[in-house]
Amino acid sequence: MKLRRPAPAQHSETIIALIDVVLFLLIFFMLIGRMDATAPFEVTPPLATTGSDMPAGGATLAIAADGALALDGQALDRAMLDSRLAALLAEDPDLRLRVNAHRAAELRHVLPLVGAAEAMGFRDVVLVVTPADQP
Amino acid sequence: MASKVTLKRRSHNGPLISLVPMIDVMLILLVFFMVTSTYLNLDMIPAVRQQDQPAATAATPGRTGTAMIRLGADGVPVLRGQPLDAAGLDRALRDLLAGDPLAQVLILPSGSATTQALITVMDVATRAGVQRLRVIRLEARP
Repeated sequence: MKLRRPAPAQHSETIIALIDVVLFLLIFFMLIGRMDATAPFEVTPPLATTGSDMPAGGATLAIAADGALALDGQALDRAMLDSRLAALLAEDPDLRLRVNAHRAAELRHVLPLVGAAEAMGFRDVVLVVTPADQP
Repeated sequence: MASKVTLKRRSHNGPLISLVPMIDVMLILLVFFMVTSTYLNLDMIPAVRQQDQPAATAATPGRTGTAMIRLGADGVPVLRGQPLDAAGLDRALRDLLAGDPLAQVLILPSGSATTQALITVMDVATRAGVQRLRVIRLEARP
């Protein structure tokens, strides 16, 4: 009687399924993640129930609780901010400016910047908020 | 007499390029994106709209009333000299809008009030149904 060793199983099918799943997950995480530069300080946006969905795109101006500023993740002072905003506006006149102010930031640090951006020619300035449940 | 030499190509077993390093790289990328991503759920409230130009508001026909909410440094809204809480402000604004649905509401916040206080008042006004809401601020004359 002759006994034969079984032929080694082909593993190619299982590896292809694994690659499919991993690629799918990779593309999923790359697509749903918005690559935003985070500010070099802590910013917790205020809570609001009437905010609307924020589409991607635009420049983000972060304002810390003590009034420190950062544009697209880069810390800068008030004098530099104007020139940087003017340069951004010259590149794209319809640029959206997202003002991401800490909820404890005093309005004297926030509102003059919104006014300055409007005077500079920004036509779309939004305040970033965290969605809250209806009371 | 010359003998015949037959050379045979060695047949390839398996794929030419190994898939294992590619899987390694993809797994590393996957883990990287999963670990470094922070997911923030953010909304927005418009502060400057394109139609907010002064010409647009001046063209509103008819006579409409205006109410001004002053926002104190402590974050308490004051309407017509009366400090109100969120529910009281909501009631006052709904009463105002019942008589004049297009009434304009101005918010004059103190510079020492917090952003959260302003957003809360804007929230209450929007929920009450205010169509024309503006935030104004005092500016020192240069």
